[in-house]
Amino acid sequence: MHYHRDMHLLLVEDDLEIQTFLRHALAEAGYQVDAASDAKTAERMAMQRRHDLLIVDLGLPDQDGMALILRLRQLGVHAPVLILSARRSVDDRVLGLEQGGDDYLTKPFALAELLARLRNLLKRNAPANPVTKLRVLDLELDLLRREATRGTHILNLTPQEFTLLEYLCRNPGRVVTRSMILDKVWGMRIQPAANVVDVHIYRLRGKVDPEGMAPLIRTLRGVGYVLRDR
Amino acid sequence: MYSGTAKTVRSAAWRVSLWGTVAFACGTLLIFMSLHGVVASDVQRRTDTWLTGEAGVLSDVAERTPKDALYNRVVGEIAELASREVPNRTRATGGENDWVFFLQTAVDGSPMLWVGTGDETQYLKAVRETNAQANTPFDVHIPNVRIPFRVAATTLHDGTHFYLGLSEQGELRVLHQMREHFLRLWLLTVLLGFAIIFFTTRRMLGDVRRISEAAANIGESDLSRRVPVSGRNDEIAQLASTLNRMLDRIERSVHQLHTITNSLAHDLRSPLTAIRARLELALTRDVKEQEAESIECSINEIDRLTELLNQSLDVAEAQADALRTEPARVDLQQLLKGMIELYQPCMNEKGLRLEFHSRGPLEVMADAALLHRMVANLLDNEMKHLPPSRTVSIALSEEEGSAQLVVEDDGPGFSAEIESDLFKARVKGTESRGYGLGLAFVQAVVGVHGGAIRAENREGGGARLVVELPLAEAAVGAD
Repeated sequence: MHYHRDMHLLLVEDDLEIQTFLRHALAEAGYQVDAASDAKTAERMAMQRRHDLLIVDLGLPDQDGMALILRLRQLGVHAPVLILSARRSVDDRVLGLEQGGDDYLTKPFALAELLARLRNLLKRNAPANPVTKLRVLDLELDLLRREATRGTHILNLTPQEFTLLEYLCRNPGRVVTRSMILDKVWGMRIQPAANVVDVHIYRLRGKVDPEGMAPLIRTLRGVGYVLRDR
Repeated sequence: MYSGTAKTVRSAAWRVSLWGTVAFACGTLLIFMSLHGVVASDVQRRTDTWLTGEAGVLSDVAERTPKDALYNRVVGEIAELASREVPNRTRATGGENDWVFFLQTAVDGSPMLWVGTGDETQYLKAVRETNAQANTPFDVHIPNVRIPFRVAATTLHDGTHFYLGLSEQGELRVLHQMREHFLRLWLLTVLLGFAIIFFTTRRMLGDVRRISEAAANIGESDLSRRVPVSGRNDEIAQLASTLNRMLDRIERSVHQLHTITNSLAHDLRSPLTAIRARLELALTRDVKEQEAESIECSINEIDRLTELLNQSLDVAEAQADALRTEPARVDLQQLLKGMIELYQPCMNEKGLRLEFHSRGPLEVMADAALLHRMVANLLDNEMKHLPPSRTVSIALSEEEGSAQLVVEDDGPGFSAEIESDLFKARVKGTESRGYGLGLAFVQAVVGVHGGAIRAENREGGGARLVVELPLAEAAVGAD
């Protein structure tokens, strides 16, 4: 059922608790996961099989995570890398990598965000097909005319609300967190103290899910939101 | 060149040597003056001794010599002889006898005998006009004669008066020579002394200047540098090595602090990640409504804790001038519009109004991500502290080469006791739930961008925060 049934990931994380948790969570999401707790093991595993994506923690016991990534690149491993960093200010070298098609996530992170970034990284390698229309159940978005319809009913959205709904529609059935919404819709990496995103979603829901219709936007408590696709 | 001179004149070395030299010169001058007095009185005493002695001899001779035709000649000869033995006399001026005069007056006061150059009546008049004490030599100023005479007067038994005068030119010449010598040597010594003091102090203070320059650089750049220590083992070298020892200690402490904060940040993150992950996993399983709620709260608390951790580290780094920024041209108007659009619904929900006034795009060189967090902090603060149905007004304008952002509200304002140190981390008003890190972070962000911030209470009530950031053109020009 999952399209990434045979996607192989290499997870390099020295904290065993996080490693175990991530291994289970990733397996549950349908990925095949190899896990290593140090750079040496990771290098050996990377040589044994081709991975579609690498998840690398920067603070490894035997080597700096960045050094491992550069070493693997030299050895001909070109799979995209998702970097996990405990440093809050992101290293310049990581930013350089990010421009090269990789991504980073600072700890602690939401699992939903990790999964979303994984999907994005894997998708980047897949051929992109430009879409002009998005359809999720009876909700349809015309990206050219910036118009949204629910069934036969045209939704009266502000431009910002349309962008927010578009983001949800591009990730149907998947959890998006508040910080993902802030990042992708508003272009800000902030952690507001107030529930600013919730109010936007609440207003959008009022327009997308009028009384009498099955609600599409679901709140996942403590995590974020999902646009139902079935 | 002029500026070099002006710099020298302003320098401490110059002042020290100037005042040192003045004191030295005054002291030596005083010593010389007292010596001069001693010498002058001694010379005078000798002159007087000679005068009284000679006058005695002459009056003796005059008494014994009969008053005949030979009298004038005998006494004249004696007087003439006496003048050859004048003290302090130089041979060079020997030709004419303008050194000594001898005058005898009759009982009626008319001149009887005159030995000397010039007109005797003039001398007689001058001598008479001088108010002299008997038996003590006195000074007589003769008109048209430059140098005064020292005169001893005697009265003979036959009632005639008898004056022996000695020109003071010998005495004055000795003193004059002495003064001239002194002045030359004095000037030389004073100049030499000035030069010595000046160059020594300048060298010494030069060491101090190098130390202070090095110390200033250390503050701005890195702590690993040290001030120069001169080879001489004097107080200044000691100062330098004391400073260096202090820097060693500071460097060690700062390094330790960095290590602690880094590892703290790192060590806290891993367990936080694990806890958050577990809670998330727990939520995906079937849990009761009540449990779900507490798990959700826990996740929110973890996120808040993370933000708190990040912000305190940011504030600490900014205060240590170590906050990493990626400056780029940012249009403040656009940035603020985005933020306001984001916050408006939430604020309206809380019964607050949000206004924005701007006259147009305004570009600054700044790290957009930091500015986002800064504005978010300001707006979070407003939402936290304002009672319902108030208005927050944000105004953007250009003031004297910088972008001015004014955030005002009509709420209760800052409480007086915390207004002075509003920007210190963790300051909290007694009635508020705390400005805490928020404003300290705002100030840190403004600081790394070379801007300024001030907070005040508005006259009609309410709080006002003014943030000034340098405009982009200026920032580019400064680079």
